[in-house]
Amino acid sequence: PSPASQPAIGIEDLFTTLNRHIQRSEHEQAVKVADQVLSIAPNDEDAIRCKIVALIKNDSIDEALSTMESSRKLQIDFSFFKAYCLYRQNKLNEALEPLKGQEGNSAVMLLQSQILFRMGKMDASLDIYQKLQKSKIESLEINLVAGLVSAGRASDVQGMMEAL
Amino acid sequence: FPPAFQAIPRNPIVLDLAYNTMEFPSLENRMKKDKKGFISRLWR
Repeated sequence: PSPASQPAIGIEDLFTTLNRHIQRSEHEQAVKVADQVLSIAPNDEDAIRCKIVALIKNDSIDEALSTMESSRKLQIDFSFFKAYCLYRQNKLNEALEPLKGQEGNSAVMLLQSQILFRMGKMDASLDIYQKLQKSKIESLEINLVAGLVSAGRASDVQGMMEAL
Repeated sequence: FPPAFQAIPRNPIVLDLAYNTMEFPSLENRMKKDKKGFISRLWR
C-alpha cells in the first residue's frame, strides 16, 4: 500500500474535479467528490463547506443539517447555513437563533428579513429590506414590494420604486 | 381574436434571495497548479 502522504488520487486532483462540478452547478457530483476528499482528510474544512453548500443547493436540507451536526466537534462556524436550513424547514424561531450577533452582514440581514416575513412580522422585515437597498442586491425590490403589499402599505410601492 | 390581456390581482411573489448568498469556499489554493514556469517544468 502507498504511504499515507501519497494517496492513490491526490487531494489536489479531487479539489480540481470538485471545483469543476461547482462551476457547472453539478451539485450531486460535488457532494460525492467532497465525500471522497473527506474519506482521505475527514477534517478538511473546505471539503465540509463544499459538501454543505452543495447539499443546500441540491435541496437536500436534512442532509445538510446532519452533516453540520456530525462535524460539530470541528468547531467550524456554520451558523448562517444552519439558520438557512431551519428557515427552509419552516422552523422560524429556531432559524433566527444562529443569526444573533451577526447583523452587520447583508446576507445575514437578507435571511433575517425573509424569516421575519414568513413569521408575519412585516414591519421588522421591511425595516431590514429598506436598510439593504443601499447594498444593491439583485431583485431585492421584488421582496420589498411583497412586504409593502402584505403590510397593507401598497400605496408606498410607487414611491419606493421611484426612490430606487 | 386573440382577446386582449387583462391584469388580474394576485399575491405578490417573494423570492428566496438568501439562497443566492450561499457560497462555496474558494478552492483556488487547493487545486493543482497548472501554470508552471519553464524552469520548474524541466524538473518535473
